[in-house]
Amino acid sequence: MIEGFNFRVILEYMPLFLEGLRNTFLISFASIFLAIITGIIACAGRLSQWKVIRAIAIVYIESIRSTPLLVQIYFFYFGLPTLGIRIPELQTGILALMLNSGAYIAEIVRAGITSVPNGQIEAGVSSGLSYYQRMRFLILPQALGVTIPPLLGQAIVLVKDSSLLSLISVAELTRCGQMLTSERFMPTEGFFTVAFFYLCIYFCLHSLATWSQKKLIFREEY
Amino acid sequence: MIAHYLQRLVEIFPFFLKGLWMTVAVSGLSLILSTIFGFLLGTLRAGNSRILSGVIGIYVSFIRGTPFVVQIFIVFFIFPEWGIQLDAFPAAIISLSVLGTAFLCEIVAGGIKAVEKGQWEAAASSGLGPIQQLRLVILPQAMQTILPPLVGQYVLLIKDSSVVSVIGVIELTRVGWMTVVRIPEGLMVFTLVGILYFSISYPLIRLSNNLERRMAVEQVRL
Amino acid sequence: MIKFKDVNKWFGKLHVLKDVNLQVAAGEVVVICGPSGSGKSTLIRCINRLEKFQKGELFVDNFPLHDHSTNITNLRAEIGFVFQQFHLYPHMTALENVTLAPINVRKINKTDAVKLGHEKLARVGLSDKADSYPSQLSGGQQQRVAIARGLAMSPKIMLFDEPTSALDPEMIGEVLDVMVQLARDGMTMCVVTHEMEFARQVAHRVIFMDQGELLESGSPDQFFDNPRTDRAAVFIGKILTH
Repeated sequence: MIEGFNFRVILEYMPLFLEGLRNTFLISFASIFLAIITGIIACAGRLSQWKVIRAIAIVYIESIRSTPLLVQIYFFYFGLPTLGIRIPELQTGILALMLNSGAYIAEIVRAGITSVPNGQIEAGVSSGLSYYQRMRFLILPQALGVTIPPLLGQAIVLVKDSSLLSLISVAELTRCGQMLTSERFMPTEGFFTVAFFYLCIYFCLHSLATWSQKKLIFREEY
Repeated sequence: MIAHYLQRLVEIFPFFLKGLWMTVAVSGLSLILSTIFGFLLGTLRAGNSRILSGVIGIYVSFIRGTPFVVQIFIVFFIFPEWGIQLDAFPAAIISLSVLGTAFLCEIVAGGIKAVEKGQWEAAASSGLGPIQQLRLVILPQAMQTILPPLVGQYVLLIKDSSVVSVIGVIELTRVGWMTVVRIPEGLMVFTLVGILYFSISYPLIRLSNNLERRMAVEQVRL
Repeated sequence: MIKFKDVNKWFGKLHVLKDVNLQVAAGEVVVICGPSGSGKSTLIRCINRLEKFQKGELFVDNFPLHDHSTNITNLRAEIGFVFQQFHLYPHMTALENVTLAPINVRKINKTDAVKLGHEKLARVGLSDKADSYPSQLSGGQQQRVAIARGLAMSPKIMLFDEPTSALDPEMIGEVLDVMVQLARDGMTMCVVTHEMEFARQVAHRVIFMDQGELLESGSPDQFFDNPRTDRAAVFIGKILTH
């Protein structure tokens, strides 16, 4: 296999790979940013006092978690045009990724908030802080620390998930592998190179997650 | 117009059920294989051999660090290059099992490591052989930690099985994709696909949550 | 029954057993004491190879333990081990804890095993707790179940690694009573403990260890009343004031 491995073709396609890598980065950054906002809103809805809002949030979160991302991507890709909404594949893909990760992030944020000990809330109530003040000054700052490692975990998942956008012909990293397969019929070179780039991103994010987790434990101990 | 499409959708509904059946078959088969190999590798990963554990760790990182769609392309396109002809169905089973094994292996290893060392020593001291120690003393306790994420992993496997549609396995997602070409109602078609996925994965998600709660209670009892 | 010959063990650079020589005869009760970190636990853990050592020879029931091809599983079945932290199997009842090894190692049938289990539980005074889970038992009761678990294999040797150190003071007596009875029945025992009363009552010999060395070996009265080394004297002074 190694003797048949054509490095020249990889070099030849390198500009394409790098552009794909850049697009994967952009898509992932945009999606995770939007997903965090979506997640916080969905989590607020999930914890809301109004039944209707709570129900909407639950339906959103559970239906996302119970169905495959690919189906969600196709849902928007094939579905939006039938509603007369025509947006490019890239935006459709980011929309799907945002809504998908948003549901998982909503649960991460919720776990973070419920992890804040009850005594903290009681302490806040007794010192006369309002609900919003308690959220702003007591609960959110403490919840934030707990949510960072799982958020980084979600970022890892999202980078990998963005590979599915190749199936609606977004020119990201995985798409390059497909192109090498269809144009030159060199799937080995194409997909191993793609896998290599993903592994690099994975190890960076993974070390960051491990590091942040250690940092957190450190903070809890002292 | 919509009524017309709805009627056609009802007409081809058996086709969807066939797809659902294929999804259940593909994920069920991979689930069984992943469980067997996951427990095997997980035990070795938690074992004393550093080399073995390290090799398994590399495999797990490779699987965790790359998108499933890239893995499936590698299996589907590269085996034939090595002279092994592989149909879509076995390729799907292999890649899903390789994926599932990697994740289950970590869950199992984590569960085994969570059992305190004294339990191994006590079991060894009473003359139980290594396999007996594992089977009679360690695994029953490790199952407490293993079971909830195990069921959660099964849900992920069912959802990931949607990706095997890209190599032409006619499962639920592929059926949706084929249908949307003939019935241009993306929202309707993929809502139906989503509902069918929901019908199998939601009960499992609930089961996982229940297990988690029950195991937590049991942990207190122990 | 047990014979250590120039046994040496290192944990990395730390020399935890230094040229240990020790013989224990069948039916003998030996108490091993010494300050923490003296290697006394390591010493008795070597006897059923919970710890391996690097140099020297150790024969247990004529099996050479320094020879790593010795089938340790068979030998372990002949040696009962009682841990400081009990290590009962939390997912099994007291009776199941006791019968697990007889059923799976000795391959005796279930009815006989249950009978045997009840017998051993009765011997440690816990007939009524057969169906309790470890979490429902007090520390003293758990340790007695652990002793019954060891006895169920009809061992030739019983090893105790600080069996009362993790217990509340009011529970120490019930465990020691069981051990005294066992010693009087002629069991070969090696006990790591600081319980002087126990040593004086039943031990044939007391061994004193410090910093990996076996410093003294003598009768309990001689050891406690006239220790030969200064280090032993200091140690005895400490456990007396304790």
